[in-house]
Amino acid sequence: MSVTFSAPKLETERLILRAPDLSDFDALADFYTSPRAAFVGGPQSRELSWRALAQEAGHWVLRAFGRWTLIEKDTQAPVGIVGLWHPEGFPERELGWDLFNGATGKGYATEAARAARDYAYNTLGWTTLTSLIAVENHNSARVAERLGATYDSDFTHERYGPMQLWRHLGPEALT
Amino acid sequence: MSHAAIPVIETQRLVLRGPEPEDYPNFKATFASYRSRFMGGPLNPYEAWMLYAAEIGHWDIRGFGMWMIHDKDTDDTYGMAGGWQPAGWPEREIAWIIWPDKAGKGYALEATHAVRAHYYANGWDGAVSYLDPMNLDSIRLAERLGATKDKTAQTIDGSDAVYRHPSPAALDGTQLAHGIEMEIGHYADPMFKPKGWALD
Repeated sequence: MSVTFSAPKLETERLILRAPDLSDFDALADFYTSPRAAFVGGPQSRELSWRALAQEAGHWVLRAFGRWTLIEKDTQAPVGIVGLWHPEGFPERELGWDLFNGATGKGYATEAARAARDYAYNTLGWTTLTSLIAVENHNSARVAERLGATYDSDFTHERYGPMQLWRHLGPEALT
Repeated sequence: MSHAAIPVIETQRLVLRGPEPEDYPNFKATFASYRSRFMGGPLNPYEAWMLYAAEIGHWDIRGFGMWMIHDKDTDDTYGMAGGWQPAGWPEREIAWIIWPDKAGKGYALEATHAVRAHYYANGWDGAVSYLDPMNLDSIRLAERLGATKDKTAQTIDGSDAVYRHPSPAALDGTQLAHGIEMEIGHYADPMFKPKGWALD
């Protein structure tokens, strides 16, 4: 049920990006309750994972942008959550990505992040984007590198601790 | 991107609407304060913002949620009240929080009585409130709403007490319902000066 917001649907070669909804919960909770969530505040309980899903929807209402659930075209399964993110306490608007368990190693984060970045620059008219990445989260840093982002500065988040702020290529570098 | 689908509820002194981005500063101030100690607080700004996002997202996921309580005349916000059932909640809850400097005016009683009536008119056959046993203000409010402690009901995690609300039939033209409405009427009367402990 979507009673309070609408998110545009995006499409890439292998993925559909659509608004997060309750049908994503099991895959999202499997991720957040697993050790793979160590770099995004987890592992955490299913109850807090449910709140995380509610936060994804609420972010769209509060900011008029947010993150999309990635649907794998081949299987119609939710495989991750990627998009534009700016809760209070983040230094700048960011491009964020989390792949659900079993969905890594296929380039989905990079593919979806490119689509979200294009949406930010071409539709919303933004001129820059950042990503906060935990210092030890090398897999995520590699996604940032593949996207052409570079290390910008250190940032200490009040909940997640020491992070690295990466800065993405601007719209002029992508045209 | 509208709240068109969240119903608006009017009471004697209040209007309840879906939470809006511009209502956030008062929510943040409350959840940064000691007032929020029974609801997981005090929270830092990031946690407060994410909880506010979750309050809104709850409406999308469940189709019900928490309203923002506004003064009917001034539009000032006084707190939130509504239905709440994230994962891990055994039953649907009637929940509330009043900003610290707005307590003692009966706003929580007026708002929770109205949201419970709304849900009962829309298919709910009951509700509970999960309360910290130390949260005496909220326990008093649950009792004024006619809820009683249900020692056999499943708790969230064992640290909370379950207060079960009266059924729709027990609130349909009964002495209990009249008593609640009379108390709300007293608070709405500008001449009414409650003595003693301030109540929500």
